[in-house]
Amino acid sequence: MDYSEAAERISRKFSKSGQAVDIQKIEGKLKRLVDEFGVQPQEAERSVTNELNKEFNIPTAGSGGGGKTGSGNEQKKIAEGVPGDWVTIEGKVVALSAPASPSIAQSGIIADESGAIRFVAWAKSNAPAMAEGSWYRIESAVVDEFKGIPNLKIHSGTTVKEITEDRSLIPNPVPIKDLHPGIAGVRAKVIQEWDASHERMLQSGLLGDETGTIKFVIWKEPGKEKLVVGAVYTIFYAPVDEFNGRLSLNLNTATVMQEEGDIAISGGEAEVRGSIVHVAPGSGIIKRCPVEGCNRALSRQNYCPIHEIQPKFVYDLRIKGWLDDGEKTHSILLQRDVVESLTGISLAQAQDIAENNPLGMDEVFLQMRDKVLGRYILCHGREIDGRLLVNKCDRVKFETGEHAALLNRAGGAS
Amino acid sequence: MSTNPKDMPRREGAFEREPARRVFASELRECRYQFKDGEDEKSPTFVLLPTGERSNRIFIVGTLTEKTRQGEQNMFYRGRVVDPTGTFFVMAGSYQPEAMQQLAKIEPPQFVAVIGKASIYQKDPASAPLVSIRIESINVVDKDTRDLWVLDAAKQTLDRVDAFNAGTTPDVIKAKEQYPNIDPAVFRKAAYEALAQIKM
Repeated sequence: MDYSEAAERISRKFSKSGQAVDIQKIEGKLKRLVDEFGVQPQEAERSVTNELNKEFNIPTAGSGGGGKTGSGNEQKKIAEGVPGDWVTIEGKVVALSAPASPSIAQSGIIADESGAIRFVAWAKSNAPAMAEGSWYRIESAVVDEFKGIPNLKIHSGTTVKEITEDRSLIPNPVPIKDLHPGIAGVRAKVIQEWDASHERMLQSGLLGDETGTIKFVIWKEPGKEKLVVGAVYTIFYAPVDEFNGRLSLNLNTATVMQEEGDIAISGGEAEVRGSIVHVAPGSGIIKRCPVEGCNRALSRQNYCPIHEIQPKFVYDLRIKGWLDDGEKTHSILLQRDVVESLTGISLAQAQDIAENNPLGMDEVFLQMRDKVLGRYILCHGREIDGRLLVNKCDRVKFETGEHAALLNRAGGAS
Repeated sequence: MSTNPKDMPRREGAFEREPARRVFASELRECRYQFKDGEDEKSPTFVLLPTGERSNRIFIVGTLTEKTRQGEQNMFYRGRVVDPTGTFFVMAGSYQPEAMQQLAKIEPPQFVAVIGKASIYQKDPASAPLVSIRIESINVVDKDTRDLWVLDAAKQTLDRVDAFNAGTTPDVIKAKEQYPNIDPAVFRKAAYEALAQIKM
């Protein structure tokens, strides 16, 4: 099918109001909506236009949506639901997931143009089974909160009716730094793939956009595919979970589309100059679990939290600590090669000390602490979850130019 | 649910370690006002620097010129650390066993870096208050590190004096109330003299 005509029409509309748009990009979007998602061509044209309107902050004429305005009594948009509310909503089931308990008949995500919410239909509610991709009117459901995330509960007093609607929903991606627990969409690049820490896990890693990074997880399920490292994806309706204060994106029920192009990740490239004000326990020489893909730090008794006693451990070096510039203190983690160059103690030397000195591994810690504590260093690295993972680190040198400039500054104004 | 990011902070209650301020001895010695931020038992205590910045933790590098062991049952170490502008009084007691052992090991004179918390003591109402630093960590360093610290402390002192003269932050206003007789220009002068002592 040919989309150039529709794309042309859209582009004319915007160039009239002085906005330059990329016709090929529009064509691509239309093509994806129609070919991949089975959206009607007219509808696709409308949603692409709306998306551009939003992008350029042009108010849409007649944004009444599906024309249901007459029948709404306490009908709400999904985004307006606040925990504790009884609501009536109309929305499209965009994802279904396996119920976590026999008392749950169905769970998933329902969306309208304002946003999306997780829902749970209790087995006792006798609600009709809902199908993914269909629209429903849900009357008298309750919004509450589960683990800090809003959740729509369908109980025995709730009426669920299928409605005929085929409005297309194009949610807007959210910048990663603005994500919070709930349901959200992002446009992001896969920047890291991590070793699976659980046998049920298909893939985990790090997604990044211009504003930050977030962890993602895909659990093993039939039909699930891994993301490609370095590729850019648009992801809709992904649950954002919080665990130990960290956010993570669960992609199992999400709509994931690979995109062309690239994103410049500003995700945390950082440079900090300061002094090391604390070297934390667990620094120095450590033992790691030898099991393929585990690599966890072992306890002194060679115990791995997953693989138990591992007498054939592998030695490694690291320094965990705080780097302070006088205004802010940064948590830092130095890996083996950085530790070696900063302390001048190689892994082999450290291992020799650990095995032959009466204090063992503690001696390595003490020697390394004495070499770095209180010293000025300049660290380059990536900031992830409030910790700077240092990949390059140098001692700060005394600069006579800096000295002279400060003398002028201190002497000049007095 | 709402998709507006402003409705919810991304992370709440994230722990922030108090930064270690760089202060010359001549300024720290003038501190007379300390306060607690918040009602909680664990709320940090600050001393207010005369240049108008609160300081919980400080970082100094200087020469440890003497140390003495004191007390029998509650043994602790006291020391004097000298910078180009004056003397810091440091101490480490049995509540900081690691710091105490580190200090016990060091034989003065040596360049040392000290990370610790300042507080104001008064033996009795008649005597002059004394600002002392409870050591968290202490370590022997080289002369380069000392020189770098003098630059660092001078720069941050000058920054504070400039902010004081701009006079807008709540802590600067509080400092003007608490230290009406101190002109921060003396700290600019002290910074100059400290810098001038570094030989090129």
